[in-house]
Amino acid sequence: MKTKAFVLAMFVASAAFAQSVIINSPGKKGTVAIRNATIVPVSSATIPNGTIVFSNGLITGVGASVNIPLNATIIDGTGLFVYPGLIDAGSHVGLEEISAVPGTVDTAELGDINPNARAEVAVNPHSNVIPVTRVNGITSVVTEPEGGIISGSSAMINLAGWTPQEMTLKAPLAMHIHFPRLRTNAFDEQPQDEEATKEAAKNYTKQIDKLRDVFRDAQAYSKASAARTQNASIKRIDRDLILEALVPVVEGREAVVMHANLERDIRAALKFADEFKLKVILADAEDVARVIPELKSRNIPVILGPILSLPPREDDPYDLVFSNAKTLNDAGIPFAIQSQDAHNARNLPYNAAACAAFGLPKDVALRSVTLAPAQIFGVADKIGSLETGKLANIIVTDGDPLEIVTHVKRLFIGGEEITLDTNQTLLYEKFKSRP
Amino acid sequence: MSRRFLCFSVVSLLFLAASAFADAPGVYAITGGTVHPVSGPEIANGVVIIRDGLIESVGVNVAIPLDATVIDVKGSHVYPGLIDAQTSLGFPSATATRRRGGGAGARTAAPEALPETGPSFLAFREAKLSDDDLDAKRGTGVTTIVTAPAFGIFNGQSVALNLSSGTMESRVIRNPVSQQISFNPRPAWTYPDSLMGVISYIRQTFMDAQQYSAARAIYDKNPAGYKRPDESPSLEALGGVLHRDVPVVFVADSELMIRRAEAIAKEFNVRMIIGGARQGYKMGDELKSLGAPVLVSTKWATAPTAKEDREEQPLRVIRDRQLQPTTPAVLAKSGVLFALVSGAGKTADYFAGIRKAIENGLSADDALKATTINPAKIIGIDRQLGSLDRGKIANIVITDKPIFDKESKVKRIFVDGREAKVPTEDEKKKSASTSTGTGVDGTWSFVVKATSGDVNISATLHVENGQISGTYSGDHGSGDVGNGTFDGTTVQFSIAGGGKEEAGDWVFHGTLHGANMDGTVATTLGTFPFTGSKK
Amino acid sequence: MRMFMSQFAAARPGLTAGDSSPRSTATRYRRLGMTVFALAVACSAFAQDLLIRDATILTVSHGKIEHGSIFVHGGKIAAVGTNDQVTGPSNAQIIDASGKFVMPGIIDTHSHTAVEGSVNEISLPNTGMVRIRDVLTNEDIDVYRQLAGGTTTALVLHGSANPIGGQSQIVKWKWGHPVSEWPVSDAPRTIKFALGENPKSSNFRPPPGIPAQYPQTRMGVEEVIRQSFTDAKDYIARWDDYEAKRKRGETPIPPRHDILMETMVDILKGKIDVHSHCYRADEIMMLLNVADEEGFKIRELQHVLEGYKVAKEIAAHGVGGGTFIDWWGFKAEAYDAIPYNVALMNNAGILTSVNSDSAELARHLNQDAAKAMKYGGLSEEEALKLCTLNGAKQLRLDHRIGSIDVGKDADIVIWTGHPFSTYSRVETTLVDGEILFDRQKDLSLRKQLAQEKKDRLKKEADDEAKNKKKPGKSDDDAKPEVTNEN
Repeated sequence: MKTKAFVLAMFVASAAFAQSVIINSPGKKGTVAIRNATIVPVSSATIPNGTIVFSNGLITGVGASVNIPLNATIIDGTGLFVYPGLIDAGSHVGLEEISAVPGTVDTAELGDINPNARAEVAVNPHSNVIPVTRVNGITSVVTEPEGGIISGSSAMINLAGWTPQEMTLKAPLAMHIHFPRLRTNAFDEQPQDEEATKEAAKNYTKQIDKLRDVFRDAQAYSKASAARTQNASIKRIDRDLILEALVPVVEGREAVVMHANLERDIRAALKFADEFKLKVILADAEDVARVIPELKSRNIPVILGPILSLPPREDDPYDLVFSNAKTLNDAGIPFAIQSQDAHNARNLPYNAAACAAFGLPKDVALRSVTLAPAQIFGVADKIGSLETGKLANIIVTDGDPLEIVTHVKRLFIGGEEITLDTNQTLLYEKFKSRP
Repeated sequence: MSRRFLCFSVVSLLFLAASAFADAPGVYAITGGTVHPVSGPEIANGVVIIRDGLIESVGVNVAIPLDATVIDVKGSHVYPGLIDAQTSLGFPSATATRRRGGGAGARTAAPEALPETGPSFLAFREAKLSDDDLDAKRGTGVTTIVTAPAFGIFNGQSVALNLSSGTMESRVIRNPVSQQISFNPRPAWTYPDSLMGVISYIRQTFMDAQQYSAARAIYDKNPAGYKRPDESPSLEALGGVLHRDVPVVFVADSELMIRRAEAIAKEFNVRMIIGGARQGYKMGDELKSLGAPVLVSTKWATAPTAKEDREEQPLRVIRDRQLQPTTPAVLAKSGVLFALVSGAGKTADYFAGIRKAIENGLSADDALKATTINPAKIIGIDRQLGSLDRGKIANIVITDKPIFDKESKVKRIFVDGREAKVPTEDEKKKSASTSTGTGVDGTWSFVVKATSGDVNISATLHVENGQISGTYSGDHGSGDVGNGTFDGTTVQFSIAGGGKEEAGDWVFHGTLHGANMDGTVATTLGTFPFTGSKK
Repeated sequence: MRMFMSQFAAARPGLTAGDSSPRSTATRYRRLGMTVFALAVACSAFAQDLLIRDATILTVSHGKIEHGSIFVHGGKIAAVGTNDQVTGPSNAQIIDASGKFVMPGIIDTHSHTAVEGSVNEISLPNTGMVRIRDVLTNEDIDVYRQLAGGTTTALVLHGSANPIGGQSQIVKWKWGHPVSEWPVSDAPRTIKFALGENPKSSNFRPPPGIPAQYPQTRMGVEEVIRQSFTDAKDYIARWDDYEAKRKRGETPIPPRHDILMETMVDILKGKIDVHSHCYRADEIMMLLNVADEEGFKIRELQHVLEGYKVAKEIAAHGVGGGTFIDWWGFKAEAYDAIPYNVALMNNAGILTSVNSDSAELARHLNQDAAKAMKYGGLSEEEALKLCTLNGAKQLRLDHRIGSIDVGKDADIVIWTGHPFSTYSRVETTLVDGEILFDRQKDLSLRKQLAQEKKDRLKKEADDEAKNKKKPGKSDDDAKPEVTNEN
């Protein structure tokens, strides 16, 4: 109560309207035990009447009966559920405040080739979007640049921390490429005039050539740099930060999230990836059902979403995007779900649920916003499930977090309890009490 | 005045001499061919007598007048010259602006270098028909056209013209034929820039015309005591439409658009003709009960060239383009009065489109009716044209095979009873190939054949993005070339009028043939031919 | 549905799938087209007796009925009750809905779907003369997709480019029907107003060469509205003048009939309902006051994202609110939007609905309604009304739609589970008692349609190859280039 009043006062006094006054991390990583709750670890079977203990930021015990340390703060979980904090596999959280106001948007740098643009440096830890995202149980997100062809690298961030550095779990996470599209506009009814079609084809080829050139240069740069580290007598070359950013990519150490929507573009992207032996994660991909064998043979995981979006073509089945998750699951292809959003990344769980409404098993839907993204992005040692040794990113709910009517009651990131207040709840309180 | 007229007529005669028309006394007997009068069954080994531009008789055992030149067309087919009842020959093409629905976002404005149209715009006055236009169109067997611009909303008053040489005045069969209305939104930020805006704009204009008519009636009866109404040639021009003297051609292709046009026509009780109607196949019986004549454009929707692009198209679109060419057959079956027209298509597309309609169920007979007597009826010129009957104008086309056969060739053409030259295959090919020749860029010497004598002008022209700029000098002073456009074949530009007698610019309108150009120059003192060659 | 096919096909002239004409291209194409057309039309059969059996019925107006049935007759709900209470005639088609949920068709009070051409007439600050009704299209696939999400009625609006926009249209999503049947016959006339950033063109500028357009501030937006009503009153006066002169036996010149002015006059006379897009509390207050002063009524405020800040005032004016629940931060004026807005407005006594302003969101307005339970604690009953009955009331059509009640239109949706569960999906959607979406039918038609497309493209490619084979007789060679035409 006192905290709330204080925060309210702060809010009222706050001059800068775009900055959050919600406390990010109270700094207390005590020992906490939640018991008598239904615990859903995701990595293993649900524990109907279980206990979870975490201390100093890490999970120290999960199970039907776990030893509770003497100094633990005990939370009675009767009637409640404990889940891993949800993970958004692709968003712009922290990079965008008011979409129509360019000064507040940092998602897309100018130009086509920006591999050295790094999302984590531009994240605003005090964005109002961050507390709002937490409201439905999301504790970590991949936040990524967009724009151009090589957009830059993303970061996996916890939604808590006073500085971007405190928030960042892993960066650079992956290189994001928005593969050139053969057709930029919808499928026109009348054939495009010959001129426009030729123009579009020309531009497309130019863009792919540009991309290829920069990748070839990166390969050459990688070779030269490697040679120089072995042999200092090799002539020095000036550093090229753009190519440098691509070196881990062409060396296969950093994954590429390849954004492509339609079949032709997906195929072209895969062909390109083959040529440069890239470690690919396919993203967006409404046409994913048409390229299953190609994905399987290359072991390419997929990031789907937003699921609540329209199919690209008039003739596409109305449930195309909803059904893609089931298709991938049936084919044994790993996948995760993204919101591709900032302000409403909080609706991530309902995107996952939509897949379950169209054939995906519910537990796989839950997995697609917890363990699956952690595995795909190589942070499963830290987050994504309730397992001893992982970060205590935990949510306590009164039901299934993929259901809208569920409330998230308590939220922990790195073992710290984070308030579920947001600028929106504060405004609610303020105007609810208008006389 | 009279001296100028004399000079002009001399020039005209010289012009005529240089044209495609053969000199003739004007009495012909066309014999030996299969005659298709349209108004009756075909006549094997039939005879058509032409005298003084009109048909004197048609039949099988017709006495050949002693003063007639006999033209034996054994093995050939004799038809009335075809009537293309909706074209935009003589007008520049509209710049296509792509419209997509939704959103309050900004859209780019298309450059508007086209003349303003409106209800008082007269196609008769503004059409610029070059010789090449005429030759090409006539060479396909079409001897009468109706033309109006396709751009704008109220496209103006269309005119029916015989494709004869000579002055525009001498070509007119009927003027005006109709008011034409197209549902073309204006560029963004100019009212009306949406389809719904266009519809409201049309309705409001009709309402204004009604009010204008009422206001004028009251005022003209006795002006005393009244604020005088503003003069409005546009609203005046719509009076004929409101009184149902002049029909309105609504350019509408889709079923939805046809219904919208219908609603407007009903609201203002105007005589409607539908122009386009390529989705007419969806509503044959309805069109019949609607009672409006239909001008079916034969420019059927085409498929994208790339196979992958076709697969991306909606089935709805694929179905529609495959069913469009069945429209004429459907309309024929439903008993709708319809004509086959170019509409949005080019001259080259017309016959291909007609043949496609025949492949899709239209009988060759109905196709012939739809290009002769039907359009004549719809235009209101069926007492003069549309069939081979005594007293009608002698517009005749003779082909070596039935006219809509794929291999059919036009052998001879008569317009107003005078034979017109049929471009040979070589000439056609030459014209086709050279028109994509060396371009307009460069220095030209032009010769304008004015009344008073040749006017030599030298000009340096440059084309960029379809716009011509440059300078000129010579007999007519010097300065900058203005308002220049080039679309690949047609050249247009203007230079200052100059001289105390002239107010407006000299507007050059010509066709590029490789390193040569020819056409006409329009001035306030008359229109004169010109030729040009690159230096 | 198959049982209707033959009857229906026979009844409609021209739809004879068994045409025995020769193998001409035309006939084959037409036959293909007609067959599928017949299928499509026949499958969306004319309203016949239906009995929806053994569902959990969410009536919206009078609670939940477990193991309930609905008898549909003549396109209307003829009976609602428990399974025992409701039995239809023997010829009624039975839809077994056991284990399923049934609720009324969802009503979307803010749609831009099914509009041909631009949804905005951008050019003038007041474009009240244009009508959405004139440009409705029945070819927008998003309509079908919305039926697949349970939405059956929509208020289709002009966009928000101008302070006063065009006249909107209330329609039912009658997919498969001629578009003339879509407008709801006894629906009130409606018009769009827009306040804030969009009409003052804050976020988009005209291209070079076109001057910036008035208004550019919220002050200007108010001016445009006042001026329009002032002009309307002058227009009335001019016509009154005219009529008075005529009564005196004079022959005055009639004034112009001005469609725009007549629209404004009709608003003043209460013949057209105003639904106004707005965001900020101050512009909401502006419009409420201008309405009072100029003498017109606002039916519903839309978006109204800061409605919660002036809920008291909105309620006092008897104005409704239709909003999307959790979109925020996309514009400066949307920054203070909170998902609790719906609850706060609802609890202040404002007739509140959730709407989409999006062809995508219009497919799951049930979920937005559910969110009002989470954000603000609305009860299930209250939340259900948000996407059904409250919108019906805002559109003055609650005598016909918005709940499952005897006598109302049979706009009914069958769900696999409770519509507020994210795991539920729509199985069947009826509009006026006719099934316009059915998932099983949709699934079964896919292969057929894919095959038809394949066949048609193959035929086209074959015909083209045939034509190319004929030596040198391409039509392009035969005719010379012609100049000077489009």
